[in-house]
Amino acid sequence: MTQAGSVAEAASNTQDLGSKAVVIDVKGLSKTYFRGKEKLDVLRDLSLTAHEGEFIALMGPSGSGKTTLLNIIAGLDRPSSGSVRVAGADLAGMSDSALAGFRAANVGFIFQTYNLLPVLTARENVELPLLLTNLGSAERRRRAETALKVVGLSERMDHYPRQLSGGQEQRVTIARAIVTDPKLIVADEPTGDLDRDSADEILSLLRKLQTEFKKTIIMVTHDPAAAESAGTVHHLDKGKFK
Amino acid sequence: MLLMIPLSYNLRSLVARKGTTLASAFGIALVVFVLSSSLMLSGGIKKTMGSSGSSENAVVLRKGADSELSSTFETRLINLILAAPGVKKDETGAALGGGEAVIVIAVEKTGTAGKIANVLVRGVSDNVLKMRPEVKLIEGRLPQPGTDEVMLGKSVRGRYTGVDLNLSFELKKNRKVQAVGIFDAGGSSFESEIWAGVDTVKSSFGREGLVSSVTVQLESGSKYDAFKATVESDKQLGLQSFRESEYYSKISSGTATFVSAIGIVITVFFSIGAMIGAAITMYAAVAQRRREIGTLQALGFTRRAVLSSMLVESIVLATVGGLVGAVASLFMGFVKISMMNFATWQEVSFSFTPDPGQILISLALGGVMGVVGGFFPALSASRTNPVIAMRA
Amino acid sequence: MNLASLAVRNVLRNKLRTVLTVLGVAVAILAFVLLRTVIWSWTVSAEYAAKDRVATRHKITFISPLPVRYKTQIEQIPGVTHVTWASWFGAKHPTRESDFFQSIAVDPPSFLAVYDEIIVPAAQREKWLSNRQGALVGESLAKQMGWKLGDRITLAGTIYPGDWQFDVDAIYTVKRSSLDKASLWFNWNYLNDSIGARRKDEAGWFISRIKNAGDAANTAKRIDALFDDQDAQTLSMDEHAMNASFLGMFSAVLTAIDLVSIVILVIMMLILGNTIAMGVRERTNEYGMLRALGFLPKHIASFVLLEAMVVGLCGGGVGLLLAYPVVEQGLGRFLEENMGSMFPYFQVDASIAGLALVLSIALGLVAAIVPAYQASKLNVVDSLRRVG
Repeated sequence: MTQAGSVAEAASNTQDLGSKAVVIDVKGLSKTYFRGKEKLDVLRDLSLTAHEGEFIALMGPSGSGKTTLLNIIAGLDRPSSGSVRVAGADLAGMSDSALAGFRAANVGFIFQTYNLLPVLTARENVELPLLLTNLGSAERRRRAETALKVVGLSERMDHYPRQLSGGQEQRVTIARAIVTDPKLIVADEPTGDLDRDSADEILSLLRKLQTEFKKTIIMVTHDPAAAESAGTVHHLDKGKFK
Repeated sequence: MLLMIPLSYNLRSLVARKGTTLASAFGIALVVFVLSSSLMLSGGIKKTMGSSGSSENAVVLRKGADSELSSTFETRLINLILAAPGVKKDETGAALGGGEAVIVIAVEKTGTAGKIANVLVRGVSDNVLKMRPEVKLIEGRLPQPGTDEVMLGKSVRGRYTGVDLNLSFELKKNRKVQAVGIFDAGGSSFESEIWAGVDTVKSSFGREGLVSSVTVQLESGSKYDAFKATVESDKQLGLQSFRESEYYSKISSGTATFVSAIGIVITVFFSIGAMIGAAITMYAAVAQRRREIGTLQALGFTRRAVLSSMLVESIVLATVGGLVGAVASLFMGFVKISMMNFATWQEVSFSFTPDPGQILISLALGGVMGVVGGFFPALSASRTNPVIAMRA
Repeated sequence: MNLASLAVRNVLRNKLRTVLTVLGVAVAILAFVLLRTVIWSWTVSAEYAAKDRVATRHKITFISPLPVRYKTQIEQIPGVTHVTWASWFGAKHPTRESDFFQSIAVDPPSFLAVYDEIIVPAAQREKWLSNRQGALVGESLAKQMGWKLGDRITLAGTIYPGDWQFDVDAIYTVKRSSLDKASLWFNWNYLNDSIGARRKDEAGWFISRIKNAGDAANTAKRIDALFDDQDAQTLSMDEHAMNASFLGMFSAVLTAIDLVSIVILVIMMLILGNTIAMGVRERTNEYGMLRALGFLPKHIASFVLLEAMVVGLCGGGVGLLLAYPVVEQGLGRFLEENMGSMFPYFQVDASIAGLALVLSIALGLVAAIVPAYQASKLNVVDSLRRVG
């Protein structure tokens, strides 16, 4: 895993745009679901841009479409119309297996719950995404251990999720999200199930990823504190930015 | 405080989990079906063999022989036997009894390539129908005494190549016989036999002067002891006698027991499998419904009520499965199978005979499986901590 | 840790359910092995029958005897090396009537020439050949009845009534499974001399040893042609076919047992399939998460299939572990000793054990096909939705 470029920026929430690469480029995105005969326009003609190192929060009431937008950017779902370019790849026309490959190489995931497999230790959970690469088992272990070090959980490597607290589980999840060195980190309510202190720990970890490791982060959240950690906040309502 | 959780809750839960409910019920249905069918078959064997032979008839064999097939004695002994006390006389004053020569011939089963079965050919005396009133002609005519005509038991026709009404077949090389009639024998093993004149059989197989057995009709069942004593008294003669019904029961008990034994062994294994299947399903159901159960407890239903409720659910599931299995087994009543009776090497047709007692036993087994399979899951359900359950 | 070990570890998630499922599969495999061993043991005589022997019996009924003089004619047929004859005696132990065993009258010298699989020490062999009332007893039968070398035993005849005395001159074992170890063979002359004139000089059946196994069918035809115009016609076939046709009489029972053994496998698949399906339903979120990470539908399907195969394998292993003691030590010993002529060799044949193991894995696979397919087809976004 590379260290943060040649310039280690001090912990700062400001985005230095301009010379940074465009990681997310969404234009005219619409998404419609059909429930029987009913047509639901979940996203309407959205556009969004994000540069490397940005930390974006998506907020809005239930049904506003924020999770759908997140899913499309992450390559989990396809748009009905519009263009979506993430990390240089054109997602709109990709097949399911191509999207899977895209996600494996470019996206790290943090969900609210059910992130970790209960039958694997912390380290093995972090290794999971690496199973999709060609790396040998020794190398996979090394990288997993490094990632766990970054999130400060080295001494709990061999613990099973049931032996970890909620906050620790999320930290393991974050380690897993960075182990493949992805360009984009996608988080869906990462602090939703946590108490205040653990939530703050997670958020500061995310900020560290952004500033020290130049990760681009896009996060859906209800938590105002989380929104504060992010550099940019977009509010969605009924499928459009407010 | 409400005591019992309403049954409708259980019934609806069962319907909601259609897939696994059906799978478990099917397993139980299968077990009940197997048990019921094998009990029916065993009963059928006993009935077929048991209805063969009446307690008012006596059969005399060579001493030491374990069946008619291994028994031979001289014809001069026939009159001695017929003169024994207790033998009924017909309207002319002649004793109702006669010697029979029994042989087993190999014939090819219809529609198989050379698969052989052994069919019993019974050489009977002319007055045999008077002795065995349950035997009735149902098609064709009776064979003429002294000719090479034979009649076939109704289970015989159609089963063997070349053996059917109005067809001629060879008992042995150059000994052709013709089947002129079909008889019904009240479901007894006689229906699986071919009846010819006793002389035809004797001369075909070089048994002149010998018979396999003598059958007599007694004046009444109570006269048997006197008859037996006389027949067996002279050790030089070397004879033994049985009530006809006893004889057939004896030669079928091995086969009937064998079938029951196999049926029970199979049922035991199947039951264990079905109970394990039911337990797995119930455990999953309980796990899925922890929250509901917690809510029920919060509403005031006791642990015991929860336990009984889940147990009842399991029993309902098992009983429904059991009913299906029992009903399905009744359809086996239309099936007849032909198998070899071990003691006599002859192929006999048996049917599956339903019996209310057996059906009840099978259903009870279904219920028991429901209880045993569902007990531990039900116990687990009753141990739900409502607070933890509802927090999930 | 790799994909395969992940699938295996998932087996340990719900220990109770896995234990119950393994138990269910084990019981099914145990029953399967038991039933197939019953069939195998019953039919092994047909399977292992000598291919270089031809049996000849009366065409119409095995009860009718053939003239002993037929022997000399059969011997003339080219390709036939030895001919012997045998008559069913059908004796019973006077006090143990229900312990059925085979007792057969044979011509000792030609009998031993035709049945070369018999192993008997030379001294005993000589004794039996020279003693008219001698009996050659199979070692299982001797054990079952408690007979020792040198015992004078009395048997009750059923077809030939009366008490018959024999000397246990020799106890044999066999080097091939084509003959059982549970029969009693004695000198035909003893029988022939003791019965009335009507039944003298008769043989129940003939057995011929031929040089080339391939000639069996032809030799059988030639033998039958020899006696076609005689009063007592013959029916000949090689020993394998003879045993098979004998077994054919039990076909209803064998078919029923066969059917049941298949039904057991179906039950096993149901239990396994049900368990796997439940697991899949519960792990929808997890599968969604794995897909999000980039795992493909085929990976998800393989997890499910592998898990099923592992559970099947464990069940099969446990079932076999139970089968050996139950079948061989328990039931097997009992049957071999008490019903030795029906079940001469009751043991778990390697082929049956292998079949059971392969089936437990293969059927695990089959049972999991539908759940695996359904799991792989899950819509990623839907499966990520939080449940409850």
